[in-house]
Amino acid sequence: MTHLQRSKTLRWLCTLATAAALVIVLFPVYAVIVGSFESTQTLFSGTYYWLPHGATLDNYRTVIQAQSGHVLTSLIVGVGTAVLALIVAAPAAYALAKYRLRVTVILVSSLLVCQIVPSIVLATSLFIVFHWTHLVNSYPGLIIADGTYAIPFAILVLRAFFFSLPNEVMQAARVDGASEWQTFHRIVVPLARSAVITVAVFAFLSGWGDFIFALTILSGSGIEPITLGIYTYLGNYSTDWGAVMASGVFAMVPAGVMLVAAQRYIASGLTAGSVVG
Amino acid sequence: MHLTAWRRRQIAGWLFLTPAIAYILFAFALPIVYNVMLSFEETSPATIGDFTAPFAGLANYRFILNDPTSTAAIVHTFEFTAGSLFGQFVIGFALALLFTVRFPGRTLGRSLVIIPWLIPLFVTGVIFKFLFQLEGGAVNQLLVDVGLARHPIDWLDNPHLALWTLLIANIWLGVPFFTLLLYSALQDVPVEVKEAALMDGAGPWQRLRLVIVPIILPVIEVTFLLGFVFTVKVFDLVIALTGGGPANATQLITTWSYNLSFQQFSFGQGAALNNVLLLLAVICAPLYLLLSRDSLRRSSGAAR
Repeated sequence: MTHLQRSKTLRWLCTLATAAALVIVLFPVYAVIVGSFESTQTLFSGTYYWLPHGATLDNYRTVIQAQSGHVLTSLIVGVGTAVLALIVAAPAAYALAKYRLRVTVILVSSLLVCQIVPSIVLATSLFIVFHWTHLVNSYPGLIIADGTYAIPFAILVLRAFFFSLPNEVMQAARVDGASEWQTFHRIVVPLARSAVITVAVFAFLSGWGDFIFALTILSGSGIEPITLGIYTYLGNYSTDWGAVMASGVFAMVPAGVMLVAAQRYIASGLTAGSVVG
Repeated sequence: MHLTAWRRRQIAGWLFLTPAIAYILFAFALPIVYNVMLSFEETSPATIGDFTAPFAGLANYRFILNDPTSTAAIVHTFEFTAGSLFGQFVIGFALALLFTVRFPGRTLGRSLVIIPWLIPLFVTGVIFKFLFQLEGGAVNQLLVDVGLARHPIDWLDNPHLALWTLLIANIWLGVPFFTLLLYSALQDVPVEVKEAALMDGAGPWQRLRLVIVPIILPVIEVTFLLGFVFTVKVFDLVIALTGGGPANATQLITTWSYNLSFQQFSFGQGAALNNVLLLLAVICAPLYLLLSRDSLRRSSGAAR
């Protein structure tokens, strides 16, 4: 075999391997979407149908009636988490990157440690602390708890970005008589737009998809995000698969939107979050 | 009185930091300290409304050591974590290497492979529960149709299998993380190094083992460490997929701690088990600090 032929074969093998990997990656997503349109009879027939087997909107009818409130709740929590993450993280990241402060090293190290702390540890204590501070069963309580996923990450990513901004930008603003705050929010934040979007996307997804804090901090109150809504469908003995699949599709929508609209930010964010300065 | 510019900037810097410091104290420091306190308290359903309960000494820790489910949960957590990291690394690294080759479909593959990572963990658990059902599950249907199994396999309700099922689901969702990090590290390996190895007549396996792996080793270390930290925390997936069952066969530290605190209302015992988990995480902290500093220095020196 010539060298050229061999590299051509190799390339086709690579394509084949990628196709196989994508089948495994995409099949579960495909199965939920198809399942969400199947009738109860089909889902409980004891046979799995690889291709759509009749189509019905019944599951969506059930779910829209029962879950639209939950979708709204998840949206509020997701947006709230993103807003909280930006308010807390952006100024802090800026100070940690551009001001020579004595706490910088301690604070950056403790942020790294914060990322490591398991959510169940926080949830157990926060449940009682929130009882005490009247934050149980409330949006602010849940958003504060969900911020624990996003905020340390947000500060570290934004800080890495602010590092790359030349100091001259801020000096020019100061010479023009801008205050420290004006320099930050009129000059620095707009320049950091892509990093801010990355952080907001991540914070939104973490609030939207949160389960553990919703499960522990909202105990049987009116507030119920979509993940908890799905949980109630998973009975001990029988699961309403049609409704589960249809609400699962709803729960995956933001991820799908982000994949199309903000892909560049997601990939860069994932890498940035793990290599920190 | 006029403040000097330096003074003014110090004050501004501290003001910028205030919300973050307040947040860290309230949402991280307070719960961690309080968790330690709780683990020495004799909590009961009646004391939940109170901030403190009677002192219990080491009773909660003694309970954890003597409770078969707690010790099993600790063992499961180690098995689950080791298995996940192994699977995620092998598959993730293979995919990362694959994507460094130029071939049709490479860009599409690279962008779609991150999908598992975007789906809420809880939803992933639910989907796998659907796929691994005894009757009418896609996995059993495939195995029986192809002839690999004569009867449907009880993936979720067989105590000997359930942890494996959980492992498969967790590997599926964790591979993208390994792939992306290792892929970006492979991108940073200088072309000259690879060419030089090729000139010296090194085969593909030798190039990988003797040239590429040593260069990206710092990133591999950080990835493993972060993978470890993520995996010992896994909770949503387990609750959705198995709920810790059957017969506590998939009970991990996180899920059993939840059960102790929120279902049996023994917050003190839950907190003691939490501290075992916290200890595992805290052991990683200095390593992580050291490694992330190291890998940053090297990668910024190499290609960027």
